[in-house]
Amino acid sequence: MKCQNCKNKEATFFYEENINGKKKSVSLCADCAAKLHMTEKFEMPALASPFSVFGNDLGNFFDGFFSLSPHVAAPKGKVCPGCGATFEDIAASGKACCPQCYTTFADELLPSLRSLHGDVQHKGRVPLVDRAAKEKENKLASLRENLKNAIESEDFESAAKLRDEIRALEKEEDK
Amino acid sequence: MWYQVKGNQNDVVVSSRVRLARNLAGFPFDGKLTEKDANAVIGKIETALAGKNYTKTDMTTLSPVAAESLVEKHLVSREFAGKKGPHALFVNEGKSIYLMACEEDHIRLQCILPGLALTDALRLALECDDQLGTLDIAFDEKLGYLTHCPTNLGTGMRASVMLFLPALTAGGAIPPLARQLAKIGLTLRGLFGEGSESRGCLYQVSNQVSLGVSEEEILSRLQKAVENIVARERELESAPKGEDAVRQSDRFARAEGTLRYAQLLSSEELFELFTDIKQGVTSGKIKGITHEKLLTLLIEAMPATLTENAPEKPKTALERDGARARFIKQALEV
Repeated sequence: MKCQNCKNKEATFFYEENINGKKKSVSLCADCAAKLHMTEKFEMPALASPFSVFGNDLGNFFDGFFSLSPHVAAPKGKVCPGCGATFEDIAASGKACCPQCYTTFADELLPSLRSLHGDVQHKGRVPLVDRAAKEKENKLASLRENLKNAIESEDFESAAKLRDEIRALEKEEDK
Repeated sequence: MWYQVKGNQNDVVVSSRVRLARNLAGFPFDGKLTEKDANAVIGKIETALAGKNYTKTDMTTLSPVAAESLVEKHLVSREFAGKKGPHALFVNEGKSIYLMACEEDHIRLQCILPGLALTDALRLALECDDQLGTLDIAFDEKLGYLTHCPTNLGTGMRASVMLFLPALTAGGAIPPLARQLAKIGLTLRGLFGEGSESRGCLYQVSNQVSLGVSEEEILSRLQKAVENIVARERELESAPKGEDAVRQSDRFARAEGTLRYAQLLSSEELFELFTDIKQGVTSGKIKGITHEKLLTLLIEAMPATLTENAPEKPKTALERDGARARFIKQALEV
């Protein structure tokens, strides 16, 4: 049997998992097993793959590898102030219990989020309220840049105008 | 309804859908959300959408058949239709936006359009998102929109396309295609039935990753992949020659005959006929039936929608199969 990952070498590593009746099996060669940290799975305590449930609905073979992020555990007694959830609660269900869980357990969740999405810096749109603030921020930055240039080129008339504009915009911000 | 309208490239692309997940800051997610909280969430959404021509349906007042019919029409998720506790549906005037309040996330809004129309679906979904602008949406600069399930973080967006792929299915090309798509962050799954084989040769391709990629990037990746799949499907479905052509014509004619004149039709049989007839329509050998008409028949002859629309509610499987055959016969005579 060939390795499912590299499809080249002979598979010598076999792993089967059955979580709530959802079965998954993996056959890998020694190199791929090591590369994918597959062997580490067996060094973890029984409840050590808290996030293996996250990707189940995606139906992808590689979802199983989601559980392979370095084992994490939250400090004892750490509770989300938003909903009272512990890290174990989140790990058991594979889902956050409230928006604040993501900030509370940011450190614990990060490795799994990285396995899941790759990149963990959001790109794309922001809520309308934040979008207005962001646009204002960008506008202020560009006005300040223009002001600097105007002063450097001794265009004091434009500089005065720009300064007034900046002040007006800043005042708006304080409201 | 979206499925009654002619869509772009609808011989292969059945529909395009964009779904956005949003949550209100300060409220726990489903599971920890109390009935009181859920009602408050629905109330806030209703206030935000007030005056914007949305119709609200309290899902708890809907009969199970009516709720299931919404699932069959791809307007709400199965989880939503079968949910306990307060949940409501908001539909815009143009019936292009279906906003599920208190689904898995507080807000799941989706736009579904016929054919290949991802850009329009995204535009409409984002317009609705902006209409919710007054709400305090749970958002994090790093993680984007905060969602119940971490698989939806970031854009909170799932873009998907429903495809009819009889030639790729017959050629055994679906499993390798699914593997290829997985490598570029897309998921392919059969729409009806289990596993990678799908009844009616209908499949869904959607983005798997939602964090670290913008809405436009997700869309363009999916669009390119779909264009590629459509081209491969068309390449494979080239017209047969000689004896094969005769056999194919016979198959199409038999399927059309059954569709038009059968007195009993089960859902399973309809799915089988759908595949042949749709290919027949594409090849031009079946005339008088359009792709959108055929899709309408398939959707409106599904058990719940059929029961919902039938003048006399069928009670047994036999009565339902009879009602299905009569409905199709009538629909084709119009």
